[in-house]
Amino acid sequence: MGGASEAVARVGEEPDVVTGESAPAARAPAGKASAGWKVLPIVEGLVLLIALVLPWVLQDYLTVFATRVVILALFALSFDLVWGYAGIMSFGQALFFGAAGYGVALMARDLNVTSILLILPAGTLIGLTAALLLGGFLLLGRYPSSVIFVSLGTLTGSYAADRLARGWYYLGGQNGIPSIPPLTLGSYEFEEGPVYYYMVLGILVVVYLLCRFLVRSQFGLALAGLRENEQRIAFFGYKAQHLKAIIFAVGGTIAGLAGSLYAFHEGFVWPNMLGVVFSTQVVLYVLFGGSGTLIGAVIGTVIIEGVSFWLSDNYRDIWPIILGVLLLLVIMFRPLGLISFVLGERERVGSFGKAPSKEPGNAAP
Amino acid sequence: MASTFAAVFEIVSFGAIIVLVVLGLGIIASMMGIFNFAQGEFVLLGAYVTYLAYAHGAPVWVGMIAAPFVVGALGFVLEALIIRRFYAAPIVAMLGTYALGLIIRESVRGLIGGFYLTVPEPIGGSIDLGSVHISAWRFTIIVITLLVMGACYLLLARTSFGLRVRATLENPALARASGISTPLIYGATFAFGAALAGLAGALIVPVFSLFADLGIRFLIQGFVAVMVGGVGSFIGPVAGAGLIGTLSAALPWVMSPVVADVLVFVLAIAFIKFRPQGSLPGKGSNHHVD
Repeated sequence: MGGASEAVARVGEEPDVVTGESAPAARAPAGKASAGWKVLPIVEGLVLLIALVLPWVLQDYLTVFATRVVILALFALSFDLVWGYAGIMSFGQALFFGAAGYGVALMARDLNVTSILLILPAGTLIGLTAALLLGGFLLLGRYPSSVIFVSLGTLTGSYAADRLARGWYYLGGQNGIPSIPPLTLGSYEFEEGPVYYYMVLGILVVVYLLCRFLVRSQFGLALAGLRENEQRIAFFGYKAQHLKAIIFAVGGTIAGLAGSLYAFHEGFVWPNMLGVVFSTQVVLYVLFGGSGTLIGAVIGTVIIEGVSFWLSDNYRDIWPIILGVLLLLVIMFRPLGLISFVLGERERVGSFGKAPSKEPGNAAP
Repeated sequence: MASTFAAVFEIVSFGAIIVLVVLGLGIIASMMGIFNFAQGEFVLLGAYVTYLAYAHGAPVWVGMIAAPFVVGALGFVLEALIIRRFYAAPIVAMLGTYALGLIIRESVRGLIGGFYLTVPEPIGGSIDLGSVHISAWRFTIIVITLLVMGACYLLLARTSFGLRVRATLENPALARASGISTPLIYGATFAFGAALAGLAGALIVPVFSLFADLGIRFLIQGFVAVMVGGVGSFIGPVAGAGLIGTLSAALPWVMSPVVADVLVFVLAIAFIKFRPQGSLPGKGSNHHVD
């Protein structure tokens, strides 16, 4: 796709083409923005810094909670790639998360496999396979699938998996699979606590960096184009459906990794992990924090889970109502999420590939 | 013979319930091109209104008559305040209505607690046909569903209001140019869809009893039914609902309920994949479902 990608790269230098609805402020030449103060790396650095020192200041049970949040942030990242970057509404992202969770739980229960070197690749592979199958079915084909079909198809898939797990005795029915043994590396056992926390944080950072590289590559540029105007990308010669299927599979892979970590961290898996509950939860995280920025997904997860944990003692009953109201407000008035309070449109869309050359038509502000 | 008849009755009465739920969903999806995630919660609200009337000493049927009006009025207000902003973007509409549904569901959960509240059937007892006894109330639901379907059809096909609705569906710009207030039509359609859901909730609450997750149970089945039937026509969603309702009630008689449940969804999604326009698409469908 060499020739085509160059053509797209040049289009990318005009922000209004890629973003469609970008504000006048975003029309500033790209060279100026890159020379100025960038917010995104600062936010990312701050979040990483806080995440690194957290176990030193938190009590033990809070570290366990923080570990769960980090795993969920990984899950949110997978949804953000699919929705925020490629514009595929996957309302069934929990299918991959839960399938991997169930898969590794069965490995631990029936085959006594708990080695991290086997479990994590297995969970990742399950997520990838499930996403390839479902994504291939929903996205590929003679006619492009409508957005509505893909979102309802993924939702239905997730719901059906939930029902299946609830009714299948082998998978433990309503109760799921309890008492999964801890992850092991040689003779070392990963118990809940700071070590597990740093392990998942390390994985999150690695995956985050990989995603960051991915979305800023030429492939990421094609995805952004896909999100903004699918037809135009197709006219450039890209196979839009293939791009979608690839990113859907990548998302499923990450969700699978998160699901296997989650299963071993919690020590059990249950049908909700596959179903609509988790699928919509991850949508909430990403919309709240800001879809289309990787750090937005992480921040959204931390805020929603954190506030929910904090309120759980006193306001357990009204918290879901507050959550619904906040979500509605965000959708109506801040469609780009909380991150858009500090992050400009130009930086959210990002710069791709090499720095833009100073062509005569592009240089003047 | 007797058990076959009982099974058929069971299947038809469940199909009728799905048709009632889907009718509103289908009308909203055809008209505005959005899939209303709060539709299940409108069903729940209809059930709740009925329960409320019953709990305050009114006869059950009073609550049942009030429910569609209350939910319809709420739908009208919500459309004017919130839903209206979402018409341009179907995905945002899904998320927005999901948030609305979440608010309604959790509010009702807070009001009723985690209980299953029962409401008696306004027409109790059973109808005896020889050796077969069928529930009188379920029979009434079938009759009411048929009446509602007939009334909807007449409203859309035979009245001037229906003409304006169809004109707006077919070509909104031209309808506006002809002096039809399309925002008002949209508002009325949404309220009407909500009212149908409210009626469905009121009718089924004696059968399923009232609990906060009552609506979710029907929502996904409803979506699948609308897509199988095809968006943009009156008869499409009804046919889809009949098909899905019948299948999900009939398959458990021949295989394990768990497999049947999943199989219905898999079959439906596969069907939509290879026939994206649905089984009986309407004329307005092609520019609405993209």
